[in-house]
Amino acid sequence: MPLRTGSHSPAGFGKSLPERGLLLLMVLVFLEGSVLPLGAASSPDISHQANLDDHKAAHEGHNSTKKPFPVLALEYDRVQIPFEISLWVLLASLMKLGFHLIPRLSSIVPESCLLIVVGLLVGGLIKLAGEEVPPVLDSRLFFLCLLPPIILDAGYFLPIRPFMENLGTILMFAVVGTLWNAFFIGGVLYGVTQIQPANPSSLNQIELLPCLLFGSIISAVDPVAVLAVFEEIHINELLHILVFGESLLNDAVTVVLYHLFEEYAGVGTVTLLDGILGVISFLVVALGGVLVGAIYGILAAFTSRFTSHTRVIEPLFVFVYSYMAYLSAEIFHLSGIMALIACGAVMRPYVEANISHKSHTTIKYFLKMWSSVSETLIFIFLGVATVDGPHAWNWTFVTVTVILCLVARVIGVVGLTFVINKFRIVKLTTKDQFIIAYGGLRGAIAFSLGFLLNEDHFPMRKMFLTAIITVIFFTVFVQGMTIKPLVELLAVKKKQEAKRSINEEIHTQFLDHLLTGIEDICGHYGHHHWKDKLNRFNKKYVKKCLIAGERSKEPQLIAFYHKMEMKQAIELVESGGGSKLPSAVPSTVSMQNIQPKKPPPAKAAERALPQLPKGREEEIRKILRSNLQRTRQRLRSYNRHTLVADPYEDGFSELLIKKQKMVELEKKIKEMSNYLTVPAAPPDSPTMRRARLASGRDTDFKPAQQQKGNKNCSDPQAYSVKPVSDSVPTIQVDLASPQSPDSVNLLDEFKHAGQQQPQVEDQGLMMKPPSGQSGPNKPHEADQARDQQKLTRCLSDPGPSADEDEDEPFLP
Amino acid sequence: MGSRASTLLREEEIEEIKKETGFSHSQITRLYSRFTSLDKGENGTLSREDFQRIPELAINPLGDRIINAFFPEGEDQVNFRGFMRTLAHFRPIEDNEKSRNPTASEPLNSRTNKLLFAFRLYDLDRDDKISRDELLQVLRMMVGVNISDEQLGSIADRTIQEADTNGDSSISFNEFIKVLEKVDVEQKMSIRFLH
Repeated sequence: MPLRTGSHSPAGFGKSLPERGLLLLMVLVFLEGSVLPLGAASSPDISHQANLDDHKAAHEGHNSTKKPFPVLALEYDRVQIPFEISLWVLLASLMKLGFHLIPRLSSIVPESCLLIVVGLLVGGLIKLAGEEVPPVLDSRLFFLCLLPPIILDAGYFLPIRPFMENLGTILMFAVVGTLWNAFFIGGVLYGVTQIQPANPSSLNQIELLPCLLFGSIISAVDPVAVLAVFEEIHINELLHILVFGESLLNDAVTVVLYHLFEEYAGVGTVTLLDGILGVISFLVVALGGVLVGAIYGILAAFTSRFTSHTRVIEPLFVFVYSYMAYLSAEIFHLSGIMALIACGAVMRPYVEANISHKSHTTIKYFLKMWSSVSETLIFIFLGVATVDGPHAWNWTFVTVTVILCLVARVIGVVGLTFVINKFRIVKLTTKDQFIIAYGGLRGAIAFSLGFLLNEDHFPMRKMFLTAIITVIFFTVFVQGMTIKPLVELLAVKKKQEAKRSINEEIHTQFLDHLLTGIEDICGHYGHHHWKDKLNRFNKKYVKKCLIAGERSKEPQLIAFYHKMEMKQAIELVESGGGSKLPSAVPSTVSMQNIQPKKPPPAKAAERALPQLPKGREEEIRKILRSNLQRTRQRLRSYNRHTLVADPYEDGFSELLIKKQKMVELEKKIKEMSNYLTVPAAPPDSPTMRRARLASGRDTDFKPAQQQKGNKNCSDPQAYSVKPVSDSVPTIQVDLASPQSPDSVNLLDEFKHAGQQQPQVEDQGLMMKPPSGQSGPNKPHEADQARDQQKLTRCLSDPGPSADEDEDEPFLP
Repeated sequence: MGSRASTLLREEEIEEIKKETGFSHSQITRLYSRFTSLDKGENGTLSREDFQRIPELAINPLGDRIINAFFPEGEDQVNFRGFMRTLAHFRPIEDNEKSRNPTASEPLNSRTNKLLFAFRLYDLDRDDKISRDELLQVLRMMVGVNISDEQLGSIADRTIQEADTNGDSSISFNEFIKVLEKVDVEQKMSIRFLH
């Protein structure tokens, strides 16, 4: 969470701000800490109060003694529960805020640890106040409210490609690894408990099945903890997806094992039949969960197809459908986590193609926000629940458990990697194995599952809970804190921060096709073959159903390219020229496009060729105006802590005034050489004539330069000198292409706002052909006026009402 | 399948192919049976028509180019050796090969050779540069018919601009390598030839 306020404070105050902030936080925390016990105190009184009130009312009905009208009354019970919930959430958020004020601390200790400590403190405070600690980590609350946002966030932003490429490995770790862990830990623990020393302890009473149950609870790697810790260490994508994917997919195994052992622990035996049923149950749970999720995902995608008129509730569909998927899966004891992941992953490509840009931002921010708060709350509650107890500490049990967890994990990972490497093209090295083993953190899911145990069936529940908490603390604190220095020490490959270039995109697709072809030649139906088939199926049938309008035909490459161009244009202006000029903006603007390839745009419905419908235009407008948005398809997926900061929300006005940068830009343009050979366009088209007229001088329109888009305005007033040399690639005004509201020449736009002069405008960032031409002889002034209007409208948020502009096609 | 009289694969041949390409014995025999199943004319070589008979290749946008890559310069037939030599580029790189004697010539499936293979698919006229036109052709094949020329043109321009370091408005092999340095070519360009 970028702390923007910090960045805005003048340098002099910089040092004192953290301290001040800290003080403020402490005060707030103590205040809250003291209110919570109050809250806790009044809860036992509620029923009491209710009775009293009833009595009073009854009496008053009879006696109606007049009392002075209460000017100020205190009625806490009515709002108690929402009030307490809000207090907790506020506490969690303030804590998050606080940690970032002390960067030194948060770089040593991962946030999760700090939060647990805070939870311990708050729990301690409450206990000190003599009140009963509210059972905050209630399983229902956890599984129904706290966990889904985190999983949905993870699922929606799951990087599908690496996930699918490594699916086999992930499944091996998740299924086989977890099974191995569960049985190993359970078995050895049972062995340990059966050791009869001279003085028999309570341990000996534990049966095999409860041990196995305990093993299955404690063996699952926890997605919340993994996310929390791994986000901060930025390891390479492969390792991240392996550990994270494993933590997500092992839910099915855990669910089955848990229910299996819990069911039969009372009876005391598990037969082979039960085992087989368990296996079948596992398949049902896993596949069923995925199926339920996929169905809801498709429903959501389908619904989003029709939301073009009610953009405001688009995000709601995403959230509600996903949550329903989770709940539906939980009804049937299927794996809710897998349902949620499947739902998010399935719906995302289609929903993103359909929804507006604002909705997309909303979804992104809401998901990050909820998951962030949830995670914080979970850790705090863990701390509180620890203080609460009840605890039954047993040295042997606990230490053996901790050691076993580590040992089992290491053996499991090493063994599995040995097998897996036989099937992998890119093998897992020892370093990788170490990180995978070390990253097997346990978390709140284990605790909640333990909490769910029935005390009657499991008299050793307290001991289990204590052990679980100890393991969680150990993994989160010790492993969480040391993993970062270890990663540095071992020089594990870090995440590559660079953006994906268009070259990579093109060549990757090229290689995909190449490999598919080679596989076909070899008759080898491998990875690429099926992926290709799926893509074809997707393109041919699914996209048509689920994506509205013309976006369904847009090739991925084109969409990617547009986003890049947009982004770069914004970067260009921001950096005042920077190191790269996008010399090749989609130049549908070129002179060639004077004759549009089809008749003037019919209404939005009629688009034979791919054009960007309303939604895209709106998006691009939004991008230009306010956001430096990264390519949507390549989101920095699951990093909750560093949502891309928004440089434009505050700095927009400064940009407008940066004439200086324009001038620098000018210079840069001069330096660039024209290196592209582009087919010549008819040299003296009407457009060019007009352009010359408008610019009032003889701009040298080289045919070669026509194709390029980003234009500087030819207005002589704005720029010092328009480079006349042929070597300048490009800045071209295409006056014949009007009204693309979005075809905003950024430079022009900003100049406009800054200068408030009517400008000629044809904008460079055009992704739009001169459509709706009534002919090249359109009156110039009308153009200007309209353009000016459009531009100012562009600058302000057009909102959903700027309809008439949105009908125009975006691409020829 | 591999016992047609005129095209039996002899042990010596297998050994030679093994040395040249690095495939294992079982892989070679398996690919040989594939070769013979494609070879409808039963003359021990494959022609272009034999490749074009593969249905999936027909719908592959790069189908023709891939087929051409098998045929050495100017020839119309490819024998089994040539077939294997081309396929060798797609063998996964094994760890033990990385530490091989550096003076030995680079194996066919090294990263550079893989990239060279891909580069040659772009660069039809073999002038060691991917020109804008060549890039445009490939883009047109991959993207389909619906996108306008101008737009593809600007994508091509952008692509070249990004990659071009020496300003000759085309992509040389070294520039190509540099652009793909972040892409995991070893994995992307490898097929697991099952044992």
